[in-house]
Amino acid sequence: MKPAMKPEIQLVKSEAPEAQPSTPATLVLIGINHTTAPIEVRERLAIAPSDLAHATRTLLRHPGIREGLIVSTCNRIEILTTQEALADATTPSTLPRFLEEFFNVPASTLTPHLYEFRELDAVRHLFRVASSLDSMVVGEPQILGQVKESYAAAREAGAVSTTLEGLLQRAFTVAKRVRTETEIGSSSVSIASIAVDLARKIFGALTGKTILLVGAGKMSELAARHLIQHGAANILVANRTQSRAEHIAAEFLSSNCTTAIIPWDQLHEQAGRADIVITSTGSPEKIFLRTHGQQLLHRRRNRPMFFIDIAVPRDVDPAMNEVEGCFVYDIDDLQQVAQANLADRSREAAEAEAIVALEVEKYQKRLSARDAVPAILALQQSAESIREAELARTLTKLASSGLTPAQQTAIESLTRSLTAKLLHPQLVALRKSATAPDED
Amino acid sequence: MSLLWLKLAVLLYGVAALAVLPAALYDRPNWRHLAIPATVAAAFFHFVSLAEMLVAAHHRLPVETHELQSLFALLLTLVFLVIYARFRAIALGIFVLPLAFLLGILAAFRPGHEELLPLRTGWIYLHITLLLAAYAALLVSLLASVLYLIQERRLKSKASVLNWIPALGTPLEVLDQIALKSLLFGLPCMTGGLLIGSWIAQQTMGAQYFLDPKILLAFAMWVAYCIMIFIRRHSGLRGRRAVYLSSFVFLVVLTVWAANQFSAVHRFPTP
Repeated sequence: MKPAMKPEIQLVKSEAPEAQPSTPATLVLIGINHTTAPIEVRERLAIAPSDLAHATRTLLRHPGIREGLIVSTCNRIEILTTQEALADATTPSTLPRFLEEFFNVPASTLTPHLYEFRELDAVRHLFRVASSLDSMVVGEPQILGQVKESYAAAREAGAVSTTLEGLLQRAFTVAKRVRTETEIGSSSVSIASIAVDLARKIFGALTGKTILLVGAGKMSELAARHLIQHGAANILVANRTQSRAEHIAAEFLSSNCTTAIIPWDQLHEQAGRADIVITSTGSPEKIFLRTHGQQLLHRRRNRPMFFIDIAVPRDVDPAMNEVEGCFVYDIDDLQQVAQANLADRSREAAEAEAIVALEVEKYQKRLSARDAVPAILALQQSAESIREAELARTLTKLASSGLTPAQQTAIESLTRSLTAKLLHPQLVALRKSATAPDED
Repeated sequence: MSLLWLKLAVLLYGVAALAVLPAALYDRPNWRHLAIPATVAAAFFHFVSLAEMLVAAHHRLPVETHELQSLFALLLTLVFLVIYARFRAIALGIFVLPLAFLLGILAAFRPGHEELLPLRTGWIYLHITLLLAAYAALLVSLLASVLYLIQERRLKSKASVLNWIPALGTPLEVLDQIALKSLLFGLPCMTGGLLIGSWIAQQTMGAQYFLDPKILLAFAMWVAYCIMIFIRRHSGLRGRRAVYLSSFVFLVVLTVWAANQFSAVHRFPTP
């Protein structure tokens, strides 16, 4: 999808944010998705993959932005940034203004559909998006690839540094963990992919299998294309209108797929050449009856046949499913499988949410431990400077006593040892308090 | 020491038999990674045990019931592993591995003590091995046909009636190929086994041996085996009828086995 109005993008290489200021930053994520915005709004905010790096560079020039990443798919646009620390949770982010300016969309159109997450909520949302828990079809695998593309674009734009690098790597790990430890993406939920799954349960590899397309329809052609992608190599086309049959056959003809036309009056004699029959005619009468199934199986020496009946009213008599070796699935059967698989995915999603929650907690602990480092360093430096000052004062006082170098070294060693021992409990407490859960 | 190896093999068969259930029924690859190596290890220790057992008994062929059971279990496992290597079909393990486990337990914990004819020719060894291999192939073919039937029923029932049966990872056509190819492998084994047995009988007992009804039954078994292959190849018999036919031939085989076990005449180790 293209944005309604493509913004002016300047090809100026921005400064890579390698040397970040040591002042604290806030993690902010804003976005819209299929649940918050209609397609009319989403399509105005879409960015083509080739424009992602440029868009990210523009984002990086926005005031207060240190790091940035833009994820744009047909169902969502998400902007993840680290910004100059915002005063508190109620301080508004400037990111909506970036969206308004970049896409030339008025605030009144955008604001009602926007969501914003900060800090750990942003981390949780990113983990959920990458793990496909926030997708329209939960468990679909494309979103992780899209987030990775966005990451590559952001790196190309020099918009990813310490914080986002660590966070995104963690998000990829979480997504992988969700995919391997749950069955969230294991079952198909589209009609075409279910048809492929069923065909593979019957025939195993689909290499060299023959498909017969009876009638014409978008869904049947989509199913046939899916089967070809999985190895089916021959397409037979039967249509009441010869010219339509020729047109369909020409569409499917390619280097890895041969096509042939079966005259309509020879359909029942020649249907046995096909392993998979996809029917989608507008015929009010059944085209394949139980007796046809028996004849076809006899001609095929009982090799199985798979009928995918997408037509309404149905083209294949359901009684044909009783013939040994004939497998008949109509549109309701396929949708029933899709629903069952979706329900499976929902069950797995609960397990995936638990993994995400655990990973967010782990991430928080890591961040807290990292946050404690400056305080620890400051304490150590302060103690060291006091020690050095006190040592210098003492050595000056004792200079008249004529201390030997060995005695001076012993005194210095004593001060070091005392400082370390006095600091130790404080440092341990600091580290513990950083990683301990918030009591409030 | 041989019993120790056999007990270890039995333990591994048990592990594999349990691991194969989630691997085959719920398509969990982690369990597959446990089931297959456990089976390979079990087969290895089983072979070591059998070899040591035969050497210790100062003979080169399995002459006692537990030795025969042990050899049969090993052959069955090997057939399963070959099929797995060729078709990646683990579903057969649901039946084969528990069977190997049970046969192994019998051999490991209830050693036999039957006295058999003192034949010490290598041909006897070949006769027994070939017949056991044929029986193992027939059993695998029967199991593949049963699995075909289950998978077919599940696909036909769609998402309703038989949904409680977990989907098997092995496609129908692969199960059909396993069933047919197992039979095709078993036929030369059975033919060779019977021919060698007939030649030995002719040498040791003469022509009257072939008037024994159970020997005639053994040849009837061979004819039934041939007919079954012919029907499967030329009519593409699958599903319910294939299970019936395989079951019938398997019944004949069991009858021949039983007849040989209880016969007073034929006590050298034809199973």
